[in-house]
Amino acid sequence: MIEDFAYALADSRAQELAVYLLGNVPGLPPITQAVHILGIAAVTGSSIFLNLRILGIAVPSQNVSEMIQRLMPWTWWALLSNALTGSIFVIARPLRYYFNPVFAIKFSLLVPALVLAFVIHWLSRREPGYWEMSVGRRVALGAIALVSLVLWVGVVLAGRWIAYSEYLFYPE
Amino acid sequence: MPFPEFWEWVQARPLSEYIGFTYWFPLLESIHVLAIGFVVGSILMVDLRLLGVAAAGYAASRITHELVPWTWGAFVVAVITGVGMFMTRATAYVENPAFQIKLLLLILACANMAVFQFRTFRGIVYWDVGVAPPPAARVAGAASLLLWAGVVLAGRWTGHII
Repeated sequence: MIEDFAYALADSRAQELAVYLLGNVPGLPPITQAVHILGIAAVTGSSIFLNLRILGIAVPSQNVSEMIQRLMPWTWWALLSNALTGSIFVIARPLRYYFNPVFAIKFSLLVPALVLAFVIHWLSRREPGYWEMSVGRRVALGAIALVSLVLWVGVVLAGRWIAYSEYLFYPE
Repeated sequence: MPFPEFWEWVQARPLSEYIGFTYWFPLLESIHVLAIGFVVGSILMVDLRLLGVAAAGYAASRITHELVPWTWGAFVVAVITGVGMFMTRATAYVENPAFQIKLLLLILACANMAVFQFRTFRGIVYWDVGVAPPPAARVAGAASLLLWAGVVLAGRWTGHII
């Protein structure tokens, strides 16, 4: 299904437009990538630092429940921005990304990271202070934070490797 | 560019060639991006507090003390990984206009931090809690945001010129 979509995209007007824009708008590729990196920084400043706080590694004076409410919206907006800035490159070369295993790795780390971030935010919104109500919840949150942290770091590292693995894996 | 022989020499080191021709280059680059996330992500929170935009419930001094060490720690990692990549093509990087602009913006960002730390921060007791930060603190926060965004942009542009 995703394969059909990738092939359909490769034949689309959207693909032609993305290639045209990236090739003809002066500075568009580096500017778009820089905005993508700034999005990564915003996710780091919100979700990664929240995970570090939960694990007792950073910003000890800040309150966990308060941090969730204050910082998670930054994560969602930054991820939306990164989806947009990332899309133009994928639309321009859908097959190159579809057949790149590192791109697949990045997304198989990103999806669970998104789910865990959503669970943290959603439960805390539904019931303020949710994660600090019992020992069991605290432990669960710690486990979620540890896994999330590893996932986010993996997403960033894998993201940078996509461009290098292309030379190795793309069949052309 | 001054010292052309020196940059030639740097580039000819076995370590430079090793990084340039192996998986070490993408490895260093991916760690560089991760470090940038921490540098900008941590200083972003400080800057937004100084601007009076976010985290108003926390003392500005506390936010600064808890986050700036992360900025510096990550900055050291970014410098080490950056030098590793720089070595592989030192002669080209020193002449790369995007790289030159990046260094200039980095110097300005550090100068801005130093001015804030040694002048504005001294009077922080008067605006640490509950009141809007003074114009000098807000200017430092805004300048920091713009300069670091510029460093990221010029840094990414460097790779497109070489």
